[in-house]
Parts: sequence; structure tokens; C-alpha cells
Amino acid sequence: MAIAIKSTKAFERPHHSLWGDAIVRLRRNYFAMIGLGFIVLLAIAAICAPLITHYGFADQHLTEILQGPSWKHWMGTDQLGRDTFARLLYGARTSLAVGIFTQFIVICIGLPVGASAGYMGGRVDNYIMRFVDIMYAFPDILLIILLRSVLGGSIYMLFLAIGLVGWVNIARLVRGQIMSLKSRDYISAAKAMGGMGRYITWRHLLPNSLGPIIVSVTFNVPRAIFTEAALSYIGIGVKPPTPSWGAMIQDGFNLIFSKPYMLLFPAIALALLMLAFTFLGDGLRDALDPKLRR
Amino acid sequence: MAEIVIEVNNLAKYFPVTRGIFRRKKIADVKAVDGVSFTIHKGETLGLVGESGCGKTTLGKCILQLYRPTSGEVIFEGKDLCEMSDKELVPVRQKLQVIFQDPYDSLDPRFTALDIIGEPLQIHKISKGKEYNDRVAELMNLVGLAPYMAERYPHEFSGGQRQRLGIARALALQPEFIMCDEPISALDVSIQAQIINLLDDLQQKFGVAYLFISHDLSVVRHISDRVIVMYLGKVMEISNRDELYKNPLHPYTQALLSAVPIPDPAVEMNREVIVLQGEVPSPMNPPTGCVFHPRCYRAFKDCPKIIPLLADAGGGHQVACLLYKTSWP
Amino acid sequence: MTPLLQVRNIKTYFHTQDGVVKAVDGVSYDVERGETIALVGESGCGKTVSALSILRLVAEPAGKIMSGEILFDKVDLLKLSDEEMRKMRGAKISIIFQEPLTSLNPVLTIGRQISEGLEFHKNMSVPEGMQEATRLLKLVGIPHPERRVYDYPHQFSGGMRQRAMIAIAIACQPQLIIADEPTTVVDVTIQAQLLELIKNITKEHNTSLILITHNLGIVARYAKRVFVMYAGNIVEYGSAMDVYHSPCHPYTAGLLASVPRLDEPRKTRLQPIEGQPPDLIAPPMGCSFQDRCGYCIGECQKETPHLSEVTPNHYAACCVSQKGSRQWQKSS
Repeated sequence: MAIAIKSTKAFERPHHSLWGDAIVRLRRNYFAMIGLGFIVLLAIAAICAPLITHYGFADQHLTEILQGPSWKHWMGTDQLGRDTFARLLYGARTSLAVGIFTQFIVICIGLPVGASAGYMGGRVDNYIMRFVDIMYAFPDILLIILLRSVLGGSIYMLFLAIGLVGWVNIARLVRGQIMSLKSRDYISAAKAMGGMGRYITWRHLLPNSLGPIIVSVTFNVPRAIFTEAALSYIGIGVKPPTPSWGAMIQDGFNLIFSKPYMLLFPAIALALLMLAFTFLGDGLRDALDPKLRR
Repeated sequence: MAEIVIEVNNLAKYFPVTRGIFRRKKIADVKAVDGVSFTIHKGETLGLVGESGCGKTTLGKCILQLYRPTSGEVIFEGKDLCEMSDKELVPVRQKLQVIFQDPYDSLDPRFTALDIIGEPLQIHKISKGKEYNDRVAELMNLVGLAPYMAERYPHEFSGGQRQRLGIARALALQPEFIMCDEPISALDVSIQAQIINLLDDLQQKFGVAYLFISHDLSVVRHISDRVIVMYLGKVMEISNRDELYKNPLHPYTQALLSAVPIPDPAVEMNREVIVLQGEVPSPMNPPTGCVFHPRCYRAFKDCPKIIPLLADAGGGHQVACLLYKTSWP
Repeated sequence: MTPLLQVRNIKTYFHTQDGVVKAVDGVSYDVERGETIALVGESGCGKTVSALSILRLVAEPAGKIMSGEILFDKVDLLKLSDEEMRKMRGAKISIIFQEPLTSLNPVLTIGRQISEGLEFHKNMSVPEGMQEATRLLKLVGIPHPERRVYDYPHQFSGGMRQRAMIAIAIACQPQLIIADEPTTVVDVTIQAQLLELIKNITKEHNTSLILITHNLGIVARYAKRVFVMYAGNIVEYGSAMDVYHSPCHPYTAGLLASVPRLDEPRKTRLQPIEGQPPDLIAPPMGCSFQDRCGYCIGECQKETPHLSEVTPNHYAACCVSQKGSRQWQKSS
């Protein structure tokens, strides 16, 4: 009778986890890497702004207003003589801060709400989802404006306002993920072993839902940044003199025919940042999609 | 006879079908399991056969309280599991384990083999550190996996190996009963035999009882001591293994056995195949009387009117069919 | 008489992230008119890919038919243009897939899906096509066909969906039907119904059938000739009787021995084939079965055995077999 030879030889492929595999695939995506590079570069530049330019974002040089790009002011000055390049750099801080802090709030609210709705199902799910639907029915911007008038004008309240409106997306996403994973056998197995709700949610359901959540957050960042820019554009975003690309665009828009560069620089900067996040988000989505693995 | 490990009495599981957005009105019940009773003894394998929709998987999950039964009892260690809350069930769950059908779905893709096998130990806080690692290595050896693979992820194992991981996990807490839900259906033929032998060996070694759910009659015949045949949520026949295969009493069992092709062209040439007409009816709207009568090739006028009782037709061989006097109420 | 289909030395490879997967590595077989043959093997052996290669449905750009010829009625299918190949599919050669739920379009009615082929190949109008579809549904045993022809796939049960797939496959009266694991997803009693249906249809129209399966019982019941595949190659072929009763390759013997049989007395222990199928990216040198074979001799590791005739019309690719020894056969 046949003798058992090497009965349990595992496949000789490079050994890495699902995260490792995703990182490898992400690295291969040129656009995503360019996007990531740009973001990191901008972040470093924003943090090191004082080292890069000796102008402050509020320093007014009233003798040098509305100048075009020159060796002294690399991107020119605005109507109050403030150096545009410096304002752009410090403005990057605002934009990136908005992106990150709002998403933090979004996750803090959206994740538990979505997870509860998804895991518990039934009436709890019904009520939560109807509330989400109602929030969805209102246009985001209107709600944010409303919240701004209620919460006050500081930048932290701005984060809160955008975050309080933006969590519904994540909640829906998380709920959907959890509901589709709930019926998987490994969840039943965990229950059969004696695992209870919270354990299963934290150990199994959420880690396996992370993929789409990460992608969604990556796409939400540019949306939040754009929202802040839009709010600043209409004057209820960040309060001057804190630089904001949206406010700079508004200033530039008024002078679009006479001094086009005032609009161009912040607009291009904003567009590039959004594009960078979009590339990164696309790359992450492809990298984290288990079906595209082989 | 060996002592009883699990006793199932009149178990039923109905899934309500509802309509409406806010006020969910029930319009019908899907009677997945409709009054099933049997016992499982220590160290024995009870085979559960039937086709899709017969309720065998639902029955298995009800026993483990993964679905909460609508009515009936599941008695284990003198207590009715249906009456116990999820929290009370946690210590009991150590002794009742599961092996699932899909080796891809039953393991968390983000856990290493070490995590997967050790999870029961972690949930019940049984061992830690070196003792934990040793126990996992021991379990891996038991199921024929090399312990150096403990750091690998499920996608790095083959189907048969993943199933072994699932078996190791089920054994971690030294259970008395394992519900095997089609454990080999998703595996290749040559690997199936490996897993069957493994399950056999483990039963000999540890005296664990199995409920072996499968639609593969040849495999069930090999591994089971007794067999139950289900159709549309009800039990059609129960018997010990040899008796069932040699002398099937219920027309459904006879049709099932005839439909299984035998890997021998000479035998197949001379065989008569009983081909059942029609499809399996929906469990939302089961036929009246005997649920099998619309497809039964031996049905007669009383079959749609009277529900046959599952009764002993001789020598411990129970059958629910009006062809046998014992099934008449 | 020339066989209807002659597959000659087909090699289909898949180019993946990790390397080239040699899914089908030099496979040849013939199908006569009106004959039913079976391709048997386990997952990964290449049986499905070789059938898809016939219809040139292999997923590009990763998958590619590297070399070989496929002669259908003396025409090399691999040399046809895309347009000409499309005229073949459905009309001369059709396929029944394993999983009807994913193979049927969920937004088209069953009737339209059946008449699609008729509209394209036989130039029928939509109403004519639907009428023919109704007739076909009746033929495959679906009750109330005139109503069901307007139903969508999700309104059919699994067995009925498979019947609908059979109706689609026979709509244009093809000369060859490829059935890729047609009953794996259905129950045993439905399986019996479907296979009997396929058998009757192929007998009535003298259609050739390639039955792809891993179920040795189905093969024994329905196929005249059997081709056993392992790791991308055919390792044994011959008439079903010969292959089952005197297997000339240890893999075939191992498969037959590892399956419990209803008609034999119960064994106390099954005889599995230990180990796993080889990695198709880096197959071992020599015979692809050597790691799991209990009858290996020196040659097995050095040269890849080729198919050769061991008894009349019975071929096997095994070094040991070619030397005349067949210890794995039961002495009857």
C-alpha cells in the first residue's frame, strides 16, 4: 500500500499576511505612491513651514501688495502684502488638520454606531438606520452651516461640525460590512466557542471590515478639505488671519482678471492635494480588495 | 448501550417571513425543522443525511444554540440548552464544538494558525504563554499539521489543511460532542478520505460523539453508527447503519440510495435508477399529510391526508411512512 | 471516421503575480460523434481549463493558449478569427457551466437568454426566439413553460436553473456539448434527473458530450471513455470498463480505492492518497505524481512519463506501468 510521503508540505510561496500582501500591491501602484509622496511631502513642508520661509502668514508688507511672483516673494503677495507662498504652506496645515481631525471624529461616532446597528440588527438597526436616512436627506453643507451657527466659530468647532455631519457615511459602510460578515462561518465558529457580542465585534468583525473603511476615510479627507475650503470661501470657515486655501481662493477670485496668479496658486494646490488623496484612495482600494489578490 | 450525550426532543425551528416596513407582519413560516427527536450516545457517530432544504444544517445549528429553536428541548448534562441564556451557555460550549463545511469561510483570514487553533483556549482563558503554545503544537500534530506552520495564514494552506485547522480548533477544549456540518463536501476526493480517517482516529482516541451531516451517502455509510434521513424538516427514517443501507424502508431513502452512482461501470450498467419527479417543495408551503407524497413513487390515497408517525417498524428501525402499519396514528 | 473533436497537445498557461501556472500542459484527446467521454480529476488538474480552451474562453490577458491545435470537424479552432469563433460558440459547440446562478444573467428573463443564441445564430426574431424557448423549456422538463419563459433566474430553483442552462446549450442543436461539473451544486436526486435528461438529449440528437467531473460514480454511469487528469496532464485514458477495472496508473487506482462504495462491504479504514497535488508553478522534475505515489522507482524522478499504450486502447503515463508491473491492481 502507498506510503505517506511528505504529506503536509505547504506551498513554497513568500510568506506574508494579508496586510503585507496589500502593502506590496500598493507599492506597485505608481499613482498611489505619487499621491502618498505628495501628501507626505506637503505634511513635512507644512510642519517645517517656519524653516522654509521666513515670512509669517500674517505678516503684512503694505508696500508690496499684489505683486506677482518674484525672487523675493516666490508666489507673489496678496492684497495686504502677505507672502502667498507662506500662506500656502501654513494653509496646508489647516487643510491637513481638517482632513485628519474630522475623520477622527467621524470614526469615533460612525464606527460604534454602524457596528451596533449591523451586529444587533432588528429594531436597533431599524431605528439607527432611519435616523441615518434622515440625516442623509439634508444637504451636507446646509447642516454644517447650521451647526456652525450653533457651535460657534473656532476651528475646533469647525472640525466638530464637519465630523458630526460626515459620520453617517462611515456608519452605513460599517453596518453593511458587518451585516455581510455576520453570517460567515468563522463568526459562527467564534460563537460556538463561547465568544460573546463585543468579543466577536472587536476581534473578528471590525478587523475584517477595515479595508473598505480605510478606503472610505481616505476619500473623505479630500471631501472634508474641500468642504472647509468652501466654507472659508463663503466666509464661515476658518477665521482670518489663519490661512486657508479656501479663503485664498475667494480673495483670488475677486481679482481673477487682473491678478490671475492669486487664484491659480491656491486653486492648483487644493486640486493637487485632492488628486493625491484620490490616487491614494484608489490604490488602497485595489490593494485591499481580496479578490484582486491573485 | 453507551450513555446518552445529547437528547433532542421535538425540536422545531421556524423562520418567520414578514412584510412591511415599520410594522412587520408575519405572512408565513419557513418550517426549516419541524418536530425532530433523537438521541446521540457517547462516542458514537450519528449520520444525518438529506438534501438541501431538508433542515439538516439548521438542526445542527439549533443543537448548538447558534440558532435558537422555536420549540423543543436539547438536553445536555441534564439541562435543557434551549432554556439557557447566552451567558450561561459559555461554559457549556467548551464541550460542544463545530466543524464547518467551507474550509475557506470557517477560518478568519486575518488570524494565524496559532490564533485560530488557540482561540477557544483564549476565550475560556485556559492557558497562557508556553503552555498555550505547547498545547497548540500538540493539537497541530494530532491533526497531521507541522507545528512550524503555526505562524501562517489560512490562505497559505490548502483546502484539506484548512479543514485540519478547523478540526484542531474543535478539539482544543476536549469536547464531548462535535457537530460536523458537511466537513468534507468542499474537499477533493483524495483528500476526503484523509479527513475521514482522521476523524475516525480522533474518535477512537478521545471518545467524542459526532453528528455527521452530509448529503454524501457513501461517506455517511462509512463513518456512521446510526443514520437519520431527513426531508423537508421532518425525519423520514432512523436506523443503525447496516440495517438502513441493506434494507431501506422509506421510499425516499430508497430513491436516494438508487440515485447515488457507483464507481463501477459494470455495476452501473445493470442498475435501475429510481428518478424522482419534480422539485423539492418550498418549506414555506409544505405538502399536507406526508411531506414526501408529491414526489413519492409509492404514494396512495391516504398519503396527502394523514401525517405518518415516526415509529419502530421492527428491530429499532424507525420509519415514518404509511406503507408500514406502525406509522398510522 | 474522423473524430468530431481532436485536441492536440494543448498548453494553456496563466501568468500570475507569483509565476506561470501551467494549468494545462500538453493535453490531447479525441471525441467521436455521438460519444460521451469524461474528463475526471480533482480541483486544479486542468480539466475545466482544457474545456474552456476548446471554446477559447480562457481569461485573458493572464491566461493564454500557448500552443497546440484543436480540430473541430477538421477546422483548427485556434486559428479562427474572433468573429468566426463566435459563430461556433453556441451553434456548433456549447457549454453547460457548473454554477447556474453566476452563469445566468440576473436581469434578463430566462426566455431571452435562451433566445439570445437563436437570434444570433439562426437569425430568429425575438418573438420567434421566445416561442422556441418555450418549446425548449418544455423539453427540459420545466412545468408551465409558457409562463416560466418570462421569469428571471432568481425565480427558479437550483435544479430548474440548471435545466434552463441545458436549454440554452441545446437551443441551436450543437454537435458538441461540454458539461463542466453540471451537477456539483445540486442534490443527488436532482443530479439523477439532470444527468438522465442530458443522456436522453444527447442520444436523441447524436450529440457528443464531454462530461467534466470529479465524481467517479457519474463517470461510471454515463461515460464510454474516460480521461484521468492530474496536475495539468492526462495520466490515463481508455474505456470506462478498462480504466475502472484495471487501472494502469497509481493515481487512478488511488482515487478508486479512496472512495467508499455503497455496493461493497464496509471497510474499517479508507485508503486515501496521502499528500497534496503539486504546485503548478514549479512542478517537480519527472512524474508529477511522485510525491504521493507508493510505487516510485528511480526513473520517476528523472523523466516525465508520456502516455503509452499498456493494453489495447488503454493508455497510461507511468514509468512503472510501462515496465509491465501493476501491483496496485486488486487480484480479482
